[in-house]
Amino acid sequence: MPTPTYIPLATKTLTATATSVTFSSISQAYRDLVLVAIPISTAGYQTSDIQFNGDTATNYSEVRMFGDGSATGSSANSRNLIMGQAYVNSPSEVCNIMFSIFDYSATDKHKSVLVRGNAPSSLVITSANRWASTAAITSIRVFGSGSFAIGSTFTLYGINS
Amino acid sequence: MTLVSTIQVGAGGAATIEWTGIPQTGKDLLVVMSIAKDGSEGIHSVQFNNDTAYANYNYRMLRGNGSTVVSQAESATNMIYLGYGVPPSIFMSSAFYLPNYTVAINKSLSAEAVGEANATTAYATITAGSWTNTAAITSLKLLVGGTFLQYSSASLYTISTTGATGATVA
Repeated sequence: MPTPTYIPLATKTLTATATSVTFSSISQAYRDLVLVAIPISTAGYQTSDIQFNGDTATNYSEVRMFGDGSATGSSANSRNLIMGQAYVNSPSEVCNIMFSIFDYSATDKHKSVLVRGNAPSSLVITSANRWASTAAITSIRVFGSGSFAIGSTFTLYGINS
Repeated sequence: MTLVSTIQVGAGGAATIEWTGIPQTGKDLLVVMSIAKDGSEGIHSVQFNNDTAYANYNYRMLRGNGSTVVSQAESATNMIYLGYGVPPSIFMSSAFYLPNYTVAINKSLSAEAVGEANATTAYATITAGSWTNTAAITSLKLLVGGTFLQYSSASLYTISTTGATGATVA
């Protein structure tokens, strides 16, 4: 029998506006994690970013490339978060961000994360990220530049090895 | 993750690859493709629920061919372009993920595609797409601007959150 994959660990659909959503006590039984975010903006510019295990220091680095429908670009950055980079500017704009987090439970390596940000009205982006910590990931905080509106959805899946 | 079905194109080819009656028991959709087309190089795309209106789809694409990078976009178009430059008679790998396909919100997807040709022209593409419709997705149709060749295949999966356990969320 094939090994099951995309095992749902937790999901949350907001019934009130919120500035963040946090997944905690993450099972260490899987190989990788996939976090799927569908943020809805309350008003104005809204991003979706993540931090691991409460780490707010500048321990995250990225290389990204993007296209906005005419311009393209690439850059490398060090930050105190991993950017979701699929910003929406109004409640009517749809977007999704997928964070693929590899070997999240390993304690012998830094963590790598592949991000795909999809905002069809504004930007398509992908980035490769590193969290400079050998700690196993036990919590993920999702937050942004503003508040997430009612109906925003965040789902965490475990990927079996 | 549950396989709904795999469709493989038979002799003679096919103009479209389509699923209808998609189960509404999942949360997200995943479509994985290995496709080739006849004729000249083209774009493969998707439509939902037989919606062919030139107002309901948007996409934003980034593609590279080994020397040049280009970004293109269309708003109010009649399909979402998933990948660029399907080589004639050479297979291309492509996939898209569409979350919340049964929820009453406008739909967005994340797509990637790469040509499998070791050729002078091959493309790698990422695409953000949306369907401006709050209806649940019950059918989807893949198109290629021509004919899918024999042995082209596509698999549709549903991903569920039923029984989610293994983390807490607040």
